[in-house]
Amino acid sequence: MNFVDNPEISSLPYYTFRTLLRITITLGISIAWGVPFGILASTNKTASLVLVPSIDLLQSIPILGYFPVIVLFFISLFHGGEFGIELSAILLLFTSMAWAIFFGVVGAVKGIPVNIIEAAQSFGVTGFKYIRHVILPAIVPALISGSTLAWCDGWFFMIAAEYIVYLGTTYSVPGLGSYLAKAAYVYNDLNLSVVILVLITAIVFYLNSLTWHRLMEKAATGTYKPVTRIGLSGLGKLGVVRPRWLHLGDRIHRPKSLILASKWVKRYTRLEKAVALAISLAAAFLIIYYIAGQIPSEVGFHEAFEDPEFLSLPVYTALTLGRLAVAYVISLGIALGMGVLAAEHKKFAAVFYPIYDIGQAVPILALFPIFFVYLSRVFGGRLGLEITAIVVLVLDMIWYMFLNVVGAVKSIPSEIREVGRLLGFKGLRRITHIVIPAILPAIVTGSILSWGTGWNTIIFAEYMPYEMELSGGQPLSLPGLGSYLDKTGYLPPPKGNALRLLFLLGEIAAIVLAMEGLVWRRLLKKFEKYRVEV
Amino acid sequence: MIESKHVTKSFELEKSKISVLDDVSFSVSEGDFVCLVGPSGCGKSTLLRIIAGLEHADSGEVLFHDQPQTSPTPKITMIFQLFGLLPWKTALENVEVALEVLESKKEARLDIANSHLRMVGLEGFENTYPHDLSGGMKQRVGIARALALQPEVLLMDEPFSSLDELTAKTLRSLVLEIRGKSSLATNTFIMVSHNVEEAVFMADRVIVMSPRPGRIVGEVKVDIPRPRMRYLRDPVYFKYVDEVMEALEKGK
Repeated sequence: MNFVDNPEISSLPYYTFRTLLRITITLGISIAWGVPFGILASTNKTASLVLVPSIDLLQSIPILGYFPVIVLFFISLFHGGEFGIELSAILLLFTSMAWAIFFGVVGAVKGIPVNIIEAAQSFGVTGFKYIRHVILPAIVPALISGSTLAWCDGWFFMIAAEYIVYLGTTYSVPGLGSYLAKAAYVYNDLNLSVVILVLITAIVFYLNSLTWHRLMEKAATGTYKPVTRIGLSGLGKLGVVRPRWLHLGDRIHRPKSLILASKWVKRYTRLEKAVALAISLAAAFLIIYYIAGQIPSEVGFHEAFEDPEFLSLPVYTALTLGRLAVAYVISLGIALGMGVLAAEHKKFAAVFYPIYDIGQAVPILALFPIFFVYLSRVFGGRLGLEITAIVVLVLDMIWYMFLNVVGAVKSIPSEIREVGRLLGFKGLRRITHIVIPAILPAIVTGSILSWGTGWNTIIFAEYMPYEMELSGGQPLSLPGLGSYLDKTGYLPPPKGNALRLLFLLGEIAAIVLAMEGLVWRRLLKKFEKYRVEV
Repeated sequence: MIESKHVTKSFELEKSKISVLDDVSFSVSEGDFVCLVGPSGCGKSTLLRIIAGLEHADSGEVLFHDQPQTSPTPKITMIFQLFGLLPWKTALENVEVALEVLESKKEARLDIANSHLRMVGLEGFENTYPHDLSGGMKQRVGIARALALQPEVLLMDEPFSSLDELTAKTLRSLVLEIRGKSSLATNTFIMVSHNVEEAVFMADRVIVMSPRPGRIVGEVKVDIPRPRMRYLRDPVYFKYVDEVMEALEKGK
C-alpha cells in the first residue's frame, strides 16, 4: 500500500478549489450584508438599539448550536437536493463569519472622530456623499481586519459545515473539510487525514501571511487609530517564521474579537439586552412555527420533554461544564507559562511564536477526526473520544490565552518593571508581585474568548455520529450537553425534537450569559483598578 | 560617594544609533543634593538609571563607594515621574512589599510602612488603592516607599513634573522637610528636572546638560540658606536661576 492510496485523491485540487470558493463566496456575502447593516446600526439610533444587541446575543450562542436548525430548514426546503446542502453549508459559514465584519464596520463608523464629522457637515457633505467620502474610507481598514478574522473563522468551521450527518443520512458538499471527515470516518485512513490537515494548515497559513498580512499593512496607513493586526507573520529567510508582531506591544493581533468580547460585557444596559432577548425569542418562535407547521400544542410540549434522557440534563450540563473547566485550567496553565516565557526571553519567543503561528492556522475542528482516529486506536472508542474532546478543547482555547498573556506581559509599563528590579524582586517573587497581577485583566479577556470558542468546540467534540468500525458501527457520544444537543438536532424523532433543541440552545445561551454576568463582568470590574495608568 | 566617569550611552532605534550620553563625568559626595537639569531628551533620566543600576553605560562607569555600580541595590532607590506604584496593592501594601527582600517579618514590615506613610501625611489612606488616590498622594506613597528602604542615596526622576504646580510646591517642601530630619538615614539626593526654578529651589548644586547627546555644560553651586521658602522673591534666587538659564542657552 502506498503512503496515501485513496480513490478520491485525484480530486484533491478540485476539493481545494471548492472549499476556497465556498469560503470566498461566504466572505463576499458577509461583506455585502455586514457593510450596509453595520452602517445602518452605527448611524441610526433605532436600528442600533435593535440590531447591535440582537446580533451580539446571536453571537454569544455557540454557532455550532444553530447547525441543526439551519440544516433542518434547508434540507427540508430543497428536499435534500445538493443545492440545499450547499446553501446550508454557506449559511453555516455565514453565521460564523458575518459577525466580525458587522462589528468591525460598527466600530469603525463609531470611531470616526467628531472633528471629521463636523468638518464634513460644515462643508455640506451629507447623504450619499457623506457615505462615499467619509464612511466608506473609514471602514476600509476595519473591513480588511474583519475579513481576516472572518476568513479564519470560516476555515475553523468549514469541516463542520461541509460534512453533516442528519437523520442518519450523511449530507456533504465536495471540499477539503468533507474529504478530511471522510478520510477519517469512512476510509479510516490516518495518513490521508494528516495529509489533508497539513494541506489545509498550509493553505490557511500561506494565504494569511501572503494576502491578509499585506493588506493589513497597507490599511494601517490612513486610519484614525491603530488597526488590530493579524498575527500571522510572513515567511522569513529559510522559511523560518518571523514574528513580526513581536515588538508591537498591545497593538498585536487579537484573534477573532477580543474587543467584541469585552464590549458586550460592558456596553449594554439591561433594557437593551431585554429587547434583544425578546427579538430572539420571537425569531425562535417563528422557526418553531415553520418547522412544526403549527404553534406547539400541549401534546407537543409533552413529546419534547418526555425524552428519558431529559432527566439527566443537570448531569449532562455538569459534565460538559466539567470538561470545559478541565480544558480551561490546562490551557490557562500552559498558556501562562508559554506566554510569560515568550514575552520575556527571546530564546523562548523564537520557539513559541512559530508554534503559535502554525497552531493558530490549524483549523481545530479538522484536528478532531485525526486525534479521534489515533486516540481511539490506543484507548478505545469511549475513552478515546473523552481524551480527544479535552485535547481539542485545550488546543482551541490555548491560543487566546497565549496571545493575551504575551500582549499583556509585553505592555507592562517600563516603570513598573523598573520598580520590581529596584526592589530586588527576582524569580517567583517577581512573577507573583509584578507579572501576574499586571496581566490579570488580560487573563480575564482571554478567558472570555477561550470559553466562547470552547462552547463551540464542545458541541462538536462530544458527539461522533459516524458509524465507524471503531465504535462497533454505532454512533458514539460522551454524556453531555453538547452531545444531547447534537442528538436532539440530528436524530429522527422522538429523539430529535425541534422544541427541545431550542430549549437546549436557550440553556447554553443562559449559561454563557450567566457566566459573563456573574464571573467575567465582576472580575473585569475588579481588575479594572489594576490597570496601570500611563 | 557616587562618581560618574566618562559615561557614554547610545540606543538603537529603528536601526539607527542614537547617542544619548557623551562622556559624562561628575561626582556627588555624601550629604549633597544635586540636580541634573537639561532639555527633554538630553539623557538625564538615562543617567539616573545608570546610577540606579537599571541600565549600563556603553563605556565609562559609575562608582558607588568606589565600586562599579552594575545592578540595583537597596542602598540606592528611586522616585518615579509616574509614581511607579503597583496598582494592585494598597498604599500600605505598596510600601510593605518594597521591604520584602530586606525584612522577612511581616509585622516589622507593616510597622515600618505605617510609620513612613504617617511621615508623608497619608494617615487614613493606608488601605486605599493607587487608582483612588490623587497624583500628589500617589507621589507621597512613592516617597514613603523609597525612604522606607532607608537608602543612602535617593534618586528622583522628574518627581513633580506630572503634578499641578500647587501640589508640586507642597511636595517639594515635604521632601526638603523630611531631608532636614536628623533621624533620616538618607542624606544624598540626586534629582532630574527640566524646571530651573525647581532645581535652584531644592539643590545644593545644579548640573546643567546639553541637548542630545547629553554632555555636562556647566555647574552652578546654589548658596542660598535653607529653608529657602523665604528667598523665593529674593534677587539672589533669581540670580541663580539666571545663571542656570545662561548655561542652558550656551549649551545649545
